[in-house]
Amino acid sequence: MTLHAPEIWVFGDYRNYFQNRVTLQLLSRATVLASKLGACVCATVFGHQVDEWVGEYIAHGAQKVYVIEDKSIKDYSTDLYVTLMERLARDRRPEIILVGATTFGREYAPRVAKRLGTGLTADCVGLDINEDGLLVQTSPSFGGNMLTKIITPEKRPQMATVRPGIFQEIPHNYQATGEIVRISLPKDLPKDRIRLISSERKPPTSQKLEEAAVVVCGGRGMGSRSKFKNLYELARVLGGEVGATRPAVYSKWADEEALVGQADKHIRPKVLLSFGISGAIQHTAGIIDASFIIAINKNPGAAMMKMADVAIVADANQVCLALIKELKKRLRG
Amino acid sequence: MRLDPCMKHKLVRKAVREFSEAELGPIAYEMDRDARFPWEVVEKMRPLNFFGLQVPKKYGGADLDSISYAIAVEEISRVSGAMGLCITVHNSVGIYPIVSFGTDEQKERFVPRLASGECIGAFCLTEANAGSDASGVETHAVASGSGYIINGTKIFVTNGGVCSLPLIFAVTNAAEPLRSASVFILEKDMPGYSVGEIEDLCGMRANPVSSLFFEDCRVPQENLLGKIGDGINIALATLDTGRIGIAAQALGIAQAAFEASVKYSKERQQFKKPIAAFQSIQNMLADMATDIDAARLLVYRVCALKDAGKPFGKEAAMAKLFSSTVSSTVTNKAVQIHGGYGYSKEYDVERYFRDAKVTEIYEGTSEIQRLVISRAVMNELT
Amino acid sequence: MVKMIVCIKQVPMATELPWDAKSGTLRRDLADGMMNPACKHALEAALTLKQQHGGHITAITMGPPIAEEILREAIAMGADRCLMLTDAAMAGADTHVTSYTLARAIEIFCPDFDLILCGCHTTDSETAQVGPQLAEELNIPEISYVDHLHLESRTLRVKRFSDNFLETLEMDLPCLVSVNTQHFQPRYIPLSGLQDAFEDLNILAVSASDLGLDPAVIGIKGSPTKIIDVYMPRAEKENIVLKGAPKKIVEELFERFETRIGGIIRKDLKWEG
Repeated sequence: MTLHAPEIWVFGDYRNYFQNRVTLQLLSRATVLASKLGACVCATVFGHQVDEWVGEYIAHGAQKVYVIEDKSIKDYSTDLYVTLMERLARDRRPEIILVGATTFGREYAPRVAKRLGTGLTADCVGLDINEDGLLVQTSPSFGGNMLTKIITPEKRPQMATVRPGIFQEIPHNYQATGEIVRISLPKDLPKDRIRLISSERKPPTSQKLEEAAVVVCGGRGMGSRSKFKNLYELARVLGGEVGATRPAVYSKWADEEALVGQADKHIRPKVLLSFGISGAIQHTAGIIDASFIIAINKNPGAAMMKMADVAIVADANQVCLALIKELKKRLRG
Repeated sequence: MRLDPCMKHKLVRKAVREFSEAELGPIAYEMDRDARFPWEVVEKMRPLNFFGLQVPKKYGGADLDSISYAIAVEEISRVSGAMGLCITVHNSVGIYPIVSFGTDEQKERFVPRLASGECIGAFCLTEANAGSDASGVETHAVASGSGYIINGTKIFVTNGGVCSLPLIFAVTNAAEPLRSASVFILEKDMPGYSVGEIEDLCGMRANPVSSLFFEDCRVPQENLLGKIGDGINIALATLDTGRIGIAAQALGIAQAAFEASVKYSKERQQFKKPIAAFQSIQNMLADMATDIDAARLLVYRVCALKDAGKPFGKEAAMAKLFSSTVSSTVTNKAVQIHGGYGYSKEYDVERYFRDAKVTEIYEGTSEIQRLVISRAVMNELT
Repeated sequence: MVKMIVCIKQVPMATELPWDAKSGTLRRDLADGMMNPACKHALEAALTLKQQHGGHITAITMGPPIAEEILREAIAMGADRCLMLTDAAMAGADTHVTSYTLARAIEIFCPDFDLILCGCHTTDSETAQVGPQLAEELNIPEISYVDHLHLESRTLRVKRFSDNFLETLEMDLPCLVSVNTQHFQPRYIPLSGLQDAFEDLNILAVSASDLGLDPAVIGIKGSPTKIIDVYMPRAEKENIVLKGAPKKIVEELFERFETRIGGIIRKDLKWEG
């Protein structure tokens, strides 16, 4: 029997804060879920000198924040944070725990779930409450070509990791207030079995393709390396990046860096121009998050053409050249 | 009788297909256009036992069964007919005779170098006056001291430009060419051995087919394969085995053309439908599929006979005859299905079409295969 | 000498996913199987360590009998021994129960292991959970998404990217790593290896009762998560088709979508010239 309102916890993943806003996004979704359950939205924050994040989380929807603060846990440690969450969850019995599917989260959440003997759904693209009051977790598989709805009927807490960018954060509310519950570091915390030797922040240049708003992708249908080069010019004019399929990279028309696909880079552009690409699943798995797709291919029946908002049946290179010409005309003026 | 592939054969197919698509796929067009032999791919093939597919383990080979061998050749040929040709000729007619007819000393001296791919093999029979008629061979070996001196010219040698341990079919008595014919193992750096110009061929262009010249080429006694006069027996046994490989090679080319045709006919639209909706195309695809399936079964049947130690000459000729004919028909239909695009080098089918034709000619023309088959059936039914 | 275990999974070879249009489900039985690519990378990492330090590799998989294929493939590539966990009761397991089952098998058949290697995720379910959960079951430390491995004595040093940080970490054996697909490019399978893998190798097939497991706590019965629906996301795209000469197409493209494209590249695409 629970003596307090059910709680939905969101793990405070504050590392890399300005780029990483997944905690805020989850707090926003938790708020929606909480309204259906009559639950309280909480955040958990582990670390050292974390008041800034505590404040942010409250301003973005957390009604309560559990804080464990100590110098010895100032760096993210999977080992230590798993134990902290386990102890906290056994003590407070939350109904739901949500974790952002950052690299850390995807390693952290499974271990927490295993410790608590409960289920976990990975990389959710949807979270809802059904008529039975259960968390319905929508998770993609086969590179997003298939969606699965999952529930955790018996075990508690119900757990899910969620991809960044799925939910929208609630705008910062300066007036918001919340309860801060400070918990002292357990004295018998086992030693961290993993030693951090060094941690270097990498400049986000390698993320250019993944974060580009405009991407020009090319495949075998471009025909030759010299024709493929035209895509770079088009990308330059549009202020975008160039991606490529595996066949194009194998033929050395583009670098390995440009590979877009299930096992390679996942892109989320607002506009994707797809030239001479047939649309094999290994590639399309990397582009399902594109908002607006223009596909150019000689073959109208190609899978890529069916996926597109606009399907242009023509020679890919010729359309690329015509586009460059037209864009240069228009952008000059 | 099992007709579906066992797990091992599935995995052989997967392994060779994966390699061929990754390493030969991206360069197959350019290899054909420039008649370029891809040494860099050969380098990668070496540790994978592509050059010693059926060679016993103790000589560094994979010791595969014949069906696995046929599958490997088929899968390479499906991506590059020219490389499939290199591999099958090297394995079937380059190494096999030494393994079957060589002394232990010869096997130890030559087979590991061939199986590892350090040396590429070949079998030189054809001459200007000796195509289907082997009795027209003029290359001769004259006993001299403790060895032989060989003079003559072999033409249209597959792997000619890159082989370093070719087998040479030469006569030792001009009066009785066939009775005195013998097989010698030559080494590229023997004085008097030279390689002619690489032929400019219609298809299989990445295979460096050339003439080989022997001018007073001294060959030691230890390089004679078998005895003097064994030449015809060795050649006939070798050709029987070689035919299995060529049949597999032709099958691979046909398979590639067929897959391309199915894909294209589903995508290409005319009269508001994919052309696959039209009966004339469907009929062509149906015939192609049936023919390829039949060819495949003939190939595997002869492989099974060979591995069981049973005679397989007639069946090998049948497989080679049928498979090469199918290859030509299927690739011809493939170009037709692709229409104008099929005639353009932008698509691969015209290369399959050019590559397929020679499978009806080399290693025994279709006419010779029919001779072999008819003789066999007439012997059987008295 | 390092005693290694590689966990591998057979996934559908999904170049063309065979969909059952009526039920909206994947016809897994029609799709050919293959070793999950990341698992192959993990195997390659293990083979590299074996080449450097000497040792022994056991490949384990949990799946239907057809998964035997990937075990043979692993042997062909250089694994020394394999273990096949197969039982109808194990089917339908989620990651919680999969890791539980794998752990029990490891405890019985490879108890004194030094290192477990897994692929970072599978191409079908893509959860990336089994590695970390298996480590929990065996109470060993683990690090995921590893790009580089260096073993010295009983310490494993790894490099990996985690959320924009390039981290160098260390942990002591026994431990577990899940391997990224950016490195450890798998070697091609030597054909002599395949021949050996089928010659007289007996695959040890292990059932639930061999592991002393109660069917109620494994497979679909024991999984805390339950699937209630599986479907293909409906493409809500209008799918407008443009045909004709490239110049005309481009003009039409700008006519109809100029605001959309212009808004995104933040430039005014209207040209009155």
